[in-house]
Amino acid sequence: MQIEPIFNFYTKYVNMEFLPIKTLRILGLLLLTLSTNQLNLRAQDSVAPVKKSYVKNTFEGNYIIDDQSVVLPVQHSLEADIQHRFGIMNNGIHDFFGLYNVTNVRLAVSYTFTKDFQLGIGLIGDRMQTDLNAKFALVRQTKDGSMPVSITFFGNVVVDPRDSIYDNNATFRKTSDHFSYFAQLIFARKISENLSLQVSPSWSHFNSVVGSDGTIVTGTQYDHFAISFSGRYKITSKTSIIANYDLPISTAYGALPNISAGFEFKTSGHDFQLFVGNYGYILPQNNSFYNQNDFNKSQFLLGFNITRLWNP
Amino acid sequence: MKSKLILSVSVLAVCLIGTAFIIEQQPKPWPVPDAAAKAVNPVKSNAASIAAGKDLWNTNCASCHGKKGLGDGTKAAQLKTQPADLSTATFQSQSDGSIFYKISEGRGDMPSFKKKLPDAEDIWDLVVFFRTLKK
Repeated sequence: MQIEPIFNFYTKYVNMEFLPIKTLRILGLLLLTLSTNQLNLRAQDSVAPVKKSYVKNTFEGNYIIDDQSVVLPVQHSLEADIQHRFGIMNNGIHDFFGLYNVTNVRLAVSYTFTKDFQLGIGLIGDRMQTDLNAKFALVRQTKDGSMPVSITFFGNVVVDPRDSIYDNNATFRKTSDHFSYFAQLIFARKISENLSLQVSPSWSHFNSVVGSDGTIVTGTQYDHFAISFSGRYKITSKTSIIANYDLPISTAYGALPNISAGFEFKTSGHDFQLFVGNYGYILPQNNSFYNQNDFNKSQFLLGFNITRLWNP
Repeated sequence: MKSKLILSVSVLAVCLIGTAFIIEQQPKPWPVPDAAAKAVNPVKSNAASIAAGKDLWNTNCASCHGKKGLGDGTKAAQLKTQPADLSTATFQSQSDGSIFYKISEGRGDMPSFKKKLPDAEDIWDLVVFFRTLKK
């Protein structure tokens, strides 16, 4: 079975023929009028516009453990990410608190094309998935308080490329069954130099669902909603405490919430995060929907994220 | 006679080798364009700008220049050139614009920060903080 190229996905699911030509002409005229008015205002206005000053470093990098943060790296930054999750610690010394049991790894790169737009791609060990992701900074918190929060959109498309030839459980019937999607709006506020908080509602869509016995439940599209609460507190200029609480809102498939906390160490080019939490899938839609590690049963695992930034 | 010759050659050899080390240690002059040198720091020195500069210093500079800017950072030994001691009168006699230029452009082991810190205010905050390192 061949995987449809991502291009074919977009031509199939984003049909521009839905927009009638007449509507496009009206929209075009409206845009032209508005832009002309803007030019006139600039010609008449002799006062130089005040340059807005935005708060910086609401968070140190793209990640807060398993969640995306509201920030993007500076424009034209290339970022490489290494994310590891180990086994749950309940087995004690037998597998050295899960350290001998590497359950998941993700390698990823991303690039910030403009100060507001980042694209990334990642490879993950869990089910050999590949994710393509995008991040848009929509609004930034200002120093003068005129905009009290920063708002960022994050989304991804994930493909599970497994074929029945290689994995008897992966019996996808249609090409589209391989895909899942995630979208999130991130609202954050830098409360002080040391404390930043954010809340992020999310939507996940699965074109097929993996059952508890590992088989693909085809013909079962599913929409899943969740919300995340994250925070960072700087204890020194380079060290922070980071924490998340992730709560599924949809409960049909019995996904469990997550508590995670750890430390973040920041250098000029690197960002290191060491933490414990319940989430082990790394990809946000999989964590949100499939997590069965229960913090009430102390099913925590160790993990780390390492990011490296270049500014070529 | 022979022993005197050997002694003279040995002393000359030691001097030559020593000269090579001395030349390696002395930093080359770093000319700054006039326009850059004359730039005025738009950031006033106050608690906020010093704190912001110190934060940037700890993340980006201290590993080479040391916590107190003496050029004795943990990475200094790995570098071909000795990181500058920012506390000296020689360094502090430079204009704010010259220091801004050198942070932005970099040279050799000193990286350029104009892409990593694209907001000029950040680099000016560093300049403000550098003034507090003066002995």
